[in-house]
Amino acid sequence: MSIMEYNGGSCVAMAGKNCVAIASDLRLGVQSISLTNNFPKVFAMGDKTYLGLTGLATDVQTLYELFRYKVNLYKFREERQIQPKTFANLVSSTLYEKRFGPYFSFPVVAGVSNDNTPFICGFDSIGCIDFAEDFIVSGTATEQLYGMCESVYEPNLEPDDLFETISQALLNAQDRDCISGWGCVVYVITADKCIKRLVKGRQD
Amino acid sequence: MSRSYDSRTTIFSPEGRLYQVEYALEAINHAGVALGIVAKDGIVLAAEKKVTSKLLEQEESAEKLYHIGDNMLCAVAGLTADANILINYARRVGQQYLQTFNEEMPCEQLVRRVCDLKQGYTQYGGLRPFGVSFLYAGWDHIRGYQLFQSNPSGNYGSWQANSIGGNSTSVQSLMRQEYKDDINLDEASAMAVKFLSKTLDSNSLTHEKIEFATITKDTTKNKMVCKIWKSDEINEVLNKYQETQRQS
Repeated sequence: MSIMEYNGGSCVAMAGKNCVAIASDLRLGVQSISLTNNFPKVFAMGDKTYLGLTGLATDVQTLYELFRYKVNLYKFREERQIQPKTFANLVSSTLYEKRFGPYFSFPVVAGVSNDNTPFICGFDSIGCIDFAEDFIVSGTATEQLYGMCESVYEPNLEPDDLFETISQALLNAQDRDCISGWGCVVYVITADKCIKRLVKGRQD
Repeated sequence: MSRSYDSRTTIFSPEGRLYQVEYALEAINHAGVALGIVAKDGIVLAAEKKVTSKLLEQEESAEKLYHIGDNMLCAVAGLTADANILINYARRVGQQYLQTFNEEMPCEQLVRRVCDLKQGYTQYGGLRPFGVSFLYAGWDHIRGYQLFQSNPSGNYGSWQANSIGGNSTSVQSLMRQEYKDDINLDEASAMAVKFLSKTLDSNSLTHEKIEFATITKDTTKNKMVCKIWKSDEINEVLNKYQETQRQS
């Protein structure tokens, strides 16, 4: 049994036309025992920069607190919000600092830059960045998510269509994974606003 | 006589004074003035920007007002280089607190931590004290809106309105005359402009000469907003002030 599958949970990000979406399931469990259906794994790191964290729940929380610390200091010092690309490099270097005793998490970053270009990327647990043009998946339903994304994703989707695509991809992927699920939270980020939606899924 | 005492920070003179601390306070009296006023619905901080040369590149960002937390701002008078060290320290302390307790650090605790550091330099030998006074404006769940003033000795106090830097005594006497405790933020901002224009020697204020910042609550989002004003926003307040001056 891998430590990455101890608590369960999945996350997915997709790029659309001048917009991005990032979504995660809401389950937290200990192996097959579910503990709560209200454990989001997506966190705001700026107005238009979001971070998804899957893997060991204790590391998910620790990493969120660590990145909040670093991003706040950046914000006060620079008097501006961190850009997704800058944040991705911050995540990468922070993870590599623990090269020989890594955090058990595969983060996902999604955001819209100041020039309105969408940006998504994923990481392994020691900070290798996986830049992608289309979608990034992470978590215990990775294989199911790859299958869903490769069949339903199409490029240059408008925000509403992107929401539908990412929700369907995640809901149907997590239904085929015992330790992900219990609904999901979806963020759709555009140049001028970010919409957060809670999507009800199967409660079993 | 005093020669032998004033180079050591931690040694009292026979009259019971710490000369280095007094010299640090003197350094602040040469700095531009900064002031803070607490209102019912917010706090305003304002500072004088000293224009040293017209050849100097005008920075868009503020030189004397800094964010130190999501609910806290501060104004600086004294050596800016020393201030940067302390501001960095304050920001880290605030974020460490947020990391451990998952809530914003209460303002007074943060002020006290920075003052503890300053105090150390008046007692442990070898180094000079920090040549900076701060005005901290903040909000927390315990005491709401608060304004603190600190100086190089490590003393701090809580105020309704106060000022630091050169000319601060004349601002303080104006404050004593005009301050009322039921004003709103707009009135406090107007007051801040008035105090600055009366104490600065130039006859017309511009955004190049002053800096402005406010803390208030965004009632729609139910969130505190700390804002360092942009130059056009400062001009707007200044124009409003000049308008009322002309009418009276």
